[in-house]
Amino acid sequence: MDSCEKLSEYNMDMKQITNRIDFFDIEKFNETPGPFCMSFGFDIQKIICSIEKVGLINIPYIKINENGYFDIVTGYRRIMALKTLKWESVPCIELTNSGLSDSDLLIFNLSDNLCTRRFNNIEKGMIINNLLLFFSIDEIYMHYMELLNITSSREIDILLKINRLSNTEKNIILTEAIPNKTIEYLLDLKESSRRMVLKWISDLKLNINQQIIFIEYINDISIKEEKDIPELLNEEIYLELIMEKKQSIPQKAKKFIDFLKARRLPILTKNEKAFHRQIAKLSLPKNVKIKHPPYFEGPDYLLEINFTDGMNLKKTISALEQIKGLATISDPWKEK
Amino acid sequence: MDITISNVIIEEGADNYKQTEVILRKLENVPIKRVEKNYPNKKDISVNMDKETLRLIDFKGEFFKPCPGTKGYICCGYHILNTGTNCPFNCSYCILQVYFNQPSLRVFVNLEHELDTVGHFLDLNHKKLFRIGTGEFTDSLALDHVTDWSKTLTRFVNAHKNVVLELKTKTDNINGLFSSSYRERIVVSWSMNSIAISAKEEHGATSIIKRLKAAKRCQEEGYIISFHFDPLIYFKDWKNGYLKTIELIDKYINLKKVIWISMGCIRYIPALKFIIRKRHHDTHILDGEFITGLDGKMRYFKPIRIEMYSFMKEFLDKLENNLGLYLCMESPEIWLKSFGWSPENSNGLSDYLNKRVNKLYKTNY
Repeated sequence: MDSCEKLSEYNMDMKQITNRIDFFDIEKFNETPGPFCMSFGFDIQKIICSIEKVGLINIPYIKINENGYFDIVTGYRRIMALKTLKWESVPCIELTNSGLSDSDLLIFNLSDNLCTRRFNNIEKGMIINNLLLFFSIDEIYMHYMELLNITSSREIDILLKINRLSNTEKNIILTEAIPNKTIEYLLDLKESSRRMVLKWISDLKLNINQQIIFIEYINDISIKEEKDIPELLNEEIYLELIMEKKQSIPQKAKKFIDFLKARRLPILTKNEKAFHRQIAKLSLPKNVKIKHPPYFEGPDYLLEINFTDGMNLKKTISALEQIKGLATISDPWKEK
Repeated sequence: MDITISNVIIEEGADNYKQTEVILRKLENVPIKRVEKNYPNKKDISVNMDKETLRLIDFKGEFFKPCPGTKGYICCGYHILNTGTNCPFNCSYCILQVYFNQPSLRVFVNLEHELDTVGHFLDLNHKKLFRIGTGEFTDSLALDHVTDWSKTLTRFVNAHKNVVLELKTKTDNINGLFSSSYRERIVVSWSMNSIAISAKEEHGATSIIKRLKAAKRCQEEGYIISFHFDPLIYFKDWKNGYLKTIELIDKYINLKKVIWISMGCIRYIPALKFIIRKRHHDTHILDGEFITGLDGKMRYFKPIRIEMYSFMKEFLDKLENNLGLYLCMESPEIWLKSFGWSPENSNGLSDYLNKRVNKLYKTNY
């Protein structure tokens, strides 16, 4: 069953809709997304270009609200473009007395959008939030999850929480394509911390793994040291790093995560460094590497030899045999 | 110990068992609701786990199974007897917060009925010693004044000579035990910690001193006891904190009648961290240096664990030469570096603990 068929299950009497187009004063359209709006983070320039080139092809649908202003049912992005283009009035079809309820109008707009585009996560959050004004969560699970390409009830919870974020946060989430997994971590932070974390993710272009590690480390450090996240991130060491001009953004990102790791896991970091120093002193052949087990947790160290042929391998093994310090390799920490 | 039961839910099928009648008689004035199976099953952990509701269940799952252990580490090889799930306390580190997605204190009222099957299995394997515990998914004694499990289970153990039952608790709810005439192969066991950690992190549980007083009384009543320092938590003053508890053990307990003392540093599956952060805002139990272990669980970095175990062993050894010390879910390397010996594998540890049983109960396994 496709999305149109699914929506057709929704019983809406469209007979009363007339196709009469009237002109409405552009000043009376509210720029704040209204009860039917499901647009966020769109590229208004593309719509402006299109309108400038071929005019307004699709006529928006509106409803006049109790205050005499116009709620946009469909065409929010178009009307925002027309505002930028300084149109004085907008041709619209008015649905105030169409007999359609607000829930009908919401579904009306949803159908209009579903046929032409995919929603981003911010928009999905707006839709679920608005649907919940009229439908139960079970009805949403049953009828709208699949339509909106949502895979779990947990995702719905996240989307609803995203909907409650500030527009600045929503914009970063969208621009940086921050995945739901990161958002889930972010949502547990205080608003001021969240904003700061999002700014750093954005400034350092952290990849998904780095994002998660960053949030975990900074949150842990904040709790352990009883300092707010903004206070921590405003420390000189981090600010200097971000201002540094000689390093590329990925280099800065790596260094930033290393700084945090050393602060969160000081004993581990110290031992990793001590181990690397120990190995460096051995002056191993260039084709040989000695690695410690991940976090030193397993019992075995790893010797890695790259070789071109058997002769090269034998030569490397002979060279290794000559290294006296090899027998001294051990855990870098001291035990009683 | 202050446990409030505000209401009882009887799931479909639970009325068929005598145990339900026993429990209801003890909770005369508590409102009762009868519901179909598994209703409602959604828990909102951010609020609470509905720990004031006692849910009586005709449980259809496994009652008896070996402890699954964990990959890469040595397990003590004991068996779990499943009497119910969830616990009235709110320990911040509790793994049950993530293990079970069902609310309420859940009591399996068909246990006595199912014990026949368990007993049959034990009899078929009469040459093997089974160390059994009921404290894996709940506190063994917290609800004993309502369930009377101690009576049922001590009677059961008496009838099966190849069984040692360990009742693990954080309570002083021991009166039920004293009304039973059986003492043989019943180990009453207390979870121990530093007083500071217990006070800050084991919400609702009985204080360490009261636990030790209860342990002393149990010894006086003829029970063998044990202790579990699990989880050991690394904090600023951990050495003094644990030393104080060790001194208290020495003060209250006859160490000759302690069958074993286990230790395990805090470890958790990654999903638990989320839950701990949500449910226990003030906790500092996650402050330590955790790394991903061989089994995917988070554990303290190896030298920290070695330091903690070595310290505990050093001071426990000073109290008594052989206290049956063992490590819970640790690698042979950690055993060796902190204890100076290793059982090498789970069978080795099982043998070691069985020998403790033989010594304390004069059995021969």
